[in-house]
Amino acid sequence: MSAAQASPLIALANVSKRFGGQLAVDRLSFEVRHGEIVALLGKTGAGKSTVMNMLMGTIACDEGGVRVAGVDPFREFRALKGKLAVSFQTDRLLPWRSALDNAALGLQILGRPRAEARRIAREWLARVKLEGAEDKYVHELSGGMRQRVSLARALAVDPEIVLLDESFSQLDHVTSQTLRRDFSQVVRQVGKTCVFVTHRIDDALEMADRILVLAAPARLAIEEHISAEQRQDAAFLAQVHARIARAMGGEEAG
Amino acid sequence: MQQQEPGGKQVIGLFTRLRPHAGEPAAAGNARREMIAMVVVVATLFAAMEVVSRFVPDYIMPSPLVVLKSLLESLRTEQSHIWITLARLAAAVAFSMVVGILLGLIMGTYAGIRPYLRSLIIIDTGIPALSWMLIAVFWFKNPEARIFFILTLILVPFYALNVYDGMRALSRDLVDMIESFRPSRVQVLRYLVGPHIVPYVFLTTRSVIGYAIRMAIFAELVASAVGIGSRMSLAQSTFHIDQVLAWTIFLVVFNLVVQGAVALLERKLLKWRPEASVR
Repeated sequence: MSAAQASPLIALANVSKRFGGQLAVDRLSFEVRHGEIVALLGKTGAGKSTVMNMLMGTIACDEGGVRVAGVDPFREFRALKGKLAVSFQTDRLLPWRSALDNAALGLQILGRPRAEARRIAREWLARVKLEGAEDKYVHELSGGMRQRVSLARALAVDPEIVLLDESFSQLDHVTSQTLRRDFSQVVRQVGKTCVFVTHRIDDALEMADRILVLAAPARLAIEEHISAEQRQDAAFLAQVHARIARAMGGEEAG
Repeated sequence: MQQQEPGGKQVIGLFTRLRPHAGEPAAAGNARREMIAMVVVVATLFAAMEVVSRFVPDYIMPSPLVVLKSLLESLRTEQSHIWITLARLAAAVAFSMVVGILLGLIMGTYAGIRPYLRSLIIIDTGIPALSWMLIAVFWFKNPEARIFFILTLILVPFYALNVYDGMRALSRDLVDMIESFRPSRVQVLRYLVGPHIVPYVFLTTRSVIGYAIRMAIFAELVASAVGIGSRMSLAQSTFHIDQVLAWTIFLVVFNLVVQGAVALLERKLLKWRPEASVR
């Protein structure tokens, strides 16, 4: 492992954030290393989205420091161009673009010629199992297909970090489960670093190497590690599930 | 209250349900019905003209045949006037579209400038077209400048306000999505704002085209010695009502052709938009 890979790709150090008088994030610290898939798990109002927005660079912290790929994502917003990609809770596809052109959007913003962007986007659509749907417009796609395009759009730019903001929560249980499995498989294959926000314990158990359970206002309640072997161990997962549920206040949100 | 019709069609209370993806056959049926209605209305109007023309003098209502002959004669001998009017219209609409879009984008982008521009445009919309026509006669010697000035001042506000409305309707979610890729301002305009406002530009064009034709003719009548408006003025002063009616028919048909062409272009460029139909 190189020195660059050993150092954290994302680092939050004693980060606090208030909205008005309301404390949303309370001295939160955590690090994410290269290739890790980390879940930020918590109930609604636990501050997950605030943390996600700080990682995206759309809001600044009041105290402490946030570093993403070596820069402050808010103050050096443009420095993360091409290094960070986000998939949101809703697909947020552009309705006037086909599935292929939606997946190519990030690449075009990075300045890739249209033909090359479309070629790469086509490969990514195939990886997320959307062969044959390239020319379909958004209204011709199902909810699950749209979310797959959204994931392809994020991964196609070959970012160092992928942020997922409740990307599977709007889908039905079966579609969500399939998509989670496919996504984590692809992310592990290409070795991306991923932070995802969820309120579902099952999402976190299925996808994450590490689960950070947040309790309102976003402070770290517990941290769980899950190896590939442990992910196959139902008894172990049940124990982790119980610990997380206790830390979240006894019941799963949502 | 929901109920199921025998054919499986769901009816919700007094209102029918919107079907966003099932519009194509219904749209084709609607177009056919509209075409039939148009033919019926035109035939009825011509029949009414023919009947009235038998009871009143020719200078009040000539027969449709005389009007059509006059129309063919005008199309043969007055082509230069037709092209001048069309060129004036095309130049004014194109220029107004560009300036209106720019003003709309500026209003949507720069909050500091927005209230000033908006006030200016709203004041402009309150000024009667006739005032601009008379002012243009005082201000400009060149008739082309007069007509261009009049049409531009009348049309720009429509484009500016509609494009601004379009920008206001832009989803915050889409802005956040594109911002997550860290684009430049030009890229945001190119990939997000530009395509988003295209339907608003089409809507404005379809709305103003008939109005623009009327204003162009009116402006030519007041401010120019050439063009269809000036020919209509001449026909009126020489008691040739058949020519007035002939030019009127030409303008109506021209309006329908332009509307059809814009609608065709709109369908081609906005094919991504699902057609909704109410059943």
